[in-house]
Amino acid sequence: MKLTRREVLVGAAAGAVGASGIYELVDKLAGATPVRAATGAKPPEQHLLNGVRTVRDNGVEVLVPPLHHEIVTARVAVDRSDLRDAQTTLEQALGKLDDEYAASPAGLGVTLAWGLPYFTRYVPAASARHLPKDRRAGGSALLPARRFQSDPAGTVLESNDVAILIRSDTRQHIDDAIGRIEATKVFHITSLRRGFAGGGFDGKRSLPKQMALAVNLPGAELIPETSELFLGFTSTQKAGMGPGEIANFETLGIVDLRGSDYFRRGTHMHLSHVTEDLEAWYINFDFQQRVDSAFRPNLRVRPNAQTVHQGPKDVSTEADVLRDYHQSGAIGHSAALQTTTRLQKDTVGPDGTHYPKGSAIPIRADFNTLDNPFYWSEKPSEIGSSPMAGIHFIVFNPSSDDFHRNREAMDGILPGDVKITFPPRDRNQGLNSILRTTHRQNYLVPPRVHRSFPLAEL
Amino acid sequence: MKAAFPAAALFATLAMLVSGCGGSSPKKPVAAAPVKPAKPHCAYPAGWTALANRIHAPVYCPAWLPDPLTDQLKGPWNNINSVSKDRSYLESFVWQDTDLGGTSGELHVNLRGYPGRTTIPGCTTGGVDSQNVPCFADPHGTITESGIKATLFTVNQDADQWHLLLAWRHQGGLYTVSEHLAPPLDYNHVIRYLKLELRNLVLIKPSPAT
Repeated sequence: MKLTRREVLVGAAAGAVGASGIYELVDKLAGATPVRAATGAKPPEQHLLNGVRTVRDNGVEVLVPPLHHEIVTARVAVDRSDLRDAQTTLEQALGKLDDEYAASPAGLGVTLAWGLPYFTRYVPAASARHLPKDRRAGGSALLPARRFQSDPAGTVLESNDVAILIRSDTRQHIDDAIGRIEATKVFHITSLRRGFAGGGFDGKRSLPKQMALAVNLPGAELIPETSELFLGFTSTQKAGMGPGEIANFETLGIVDLRGSDYFRRGTHMHLSHVTEDLEAWYINFDFQQRVDSAFRPNLRVRPNAQTVHQGPKDVSTEADVLRDYHQSGAIGHSAALQTTTRLQKDTVGPDGTHYPKGSAIPIRADFNTLDNPFYWSEKPSEIGSSPMAGIHFIVFNPSSDDFHRNREAMDGILPGDVKITFPPRDRNQGLNSILRTTHRQNYLVPPRVHRSFPLAEL
Repeated sequence: MKAAFPAAALFATLAMLVSGCGGSSPKKPVAAAPVKPAKPHCAYPAGWTALANRIHAPVYCPAWLPDPLTDQLKGPWNNINSVSKDRSYLESFVWQDTDLGGTSGELHVNLRGYPGRTTIPGCTTGGVDSQNVPCFADPHGTITESGIKATLFTVNQDADQWHLLLAWRHQGGLYTVSEHLAPPLDYNHVIRYLKLELRNLVLIKPSPAT
């Protein structure tokens, strides 16, 4: 079986450019900054962006993600006794960014997410009192990251104090933000992770396709011209993304804020890096098999369609997934996930917002990357010399446990103790056969008002 | 030996692409008559004629294969020489680099013929959950060389798995040539090689006596 002995081949062009230099291409390839709608006041949630454009593709409403993304992970660089000063310093820098840029793809999106090591080392007492609890899991809403059935044994479970997600259509905005945050000297940076998404919704060759070709990624030639992501399908269908404040701690009642408003309008963030074997995807799966794997077995779509309906009427139940499995021996990535990522009944949020059955809960912010696995790291082993196709996967859920349920569903472990057993990364297990997760960590995203060193003032 | 073959093959191909495909050097005399590409020449026709006689249908001898492969049936690189009951045939030529203990490089070309059928045959995926699938799928346009208009298929099965494959019809039969997408070749190199292979096919008909 050629698949098993296959290793990623990176061509001579990629070797010559090198992993760290490739992003100089991004701005050149991205072209002019797209026009975005004007935006108003910044939302209290850090994880929400204003001014996200909606387009129609193949009859489906699609949210257009920012073109450029960067994640900065870091350790806190000050002593506990200096935490209040650090809080003030960082907030001043962030406040200036707020003043100068709209919280939108046209401006700048900055999201600070704090890891368990920060809470346990720097603010243990306040954390014990204020960290939200997950009612279903019977524990903290913020759990240590774990490996899943389809993860390699070597998946690194990280322990960063903080991860900062920075998004914009303009690369210089991101560089400006990183420079100002770095200048506060409150963090010791542990890694930088870069990437891109979209660019093809207006019919032009998309950024992932251009970047893949520019560095001669194996399989690059087979990526559809306008594909939002390397794998050839749109992933930001409006109906497939959690609407509004649905992923907030307080919205669905999954999370107990413990009588405090401190983390109201906050959420949970999972961050992982996953490699993608594009050549295996495009050489071993024909189009229908790619549809079967990415969505659900035997789903009929227009030939070579990139955007597929993912509305409430298209949602699969456990029974649907089981029936597909018994008929085809396979499960689809989206179908399996939908058993945990979609609302099982109509729900009304605390502000009166009605979320109909079938609504998506997680809000994804993932983007493609050529990092191998990171653009820069304090660990030299985490900076590969050659570009590699992958995704920096970011998703906002109400809790760690909620994310873990989603991720288990991806492996065939469905609600109600329904287990569809596959060998790790089996070809019939959705996308898993071509994915390898290298790193994982869970984070808590405070509301904007408490984004800087949360709980330090208490 | 490890690096020499692939490098030699790549440079040889590049040289052929530059000098043998109608490209003209500025140092050549302006008045020189255009040079016709040499007619492809099957180096070992006897084996191909025997194959054509055996299946009672024309076969294609690959007059160009990447170095060190040759078109010799039952020669050192011809690892599969197979004819099925339906008269379809598979001729496989492979070179593998095993210097590092595993297979670190491979040149692998398959030629197939299905006399009497022009539709894409069916294959099974194998294993406990085996499914019936077309042997060649995901068409990606056509390539025309030497009067043969072939369709490029990128998802192929069995001996052609992880190969890029060209398929065309001739005299009521379906024919294919495919090449493994594996180091030292990337996608574009395989496409270049397939074009060269298609351009240099020599049609061998059954001998009149059969």
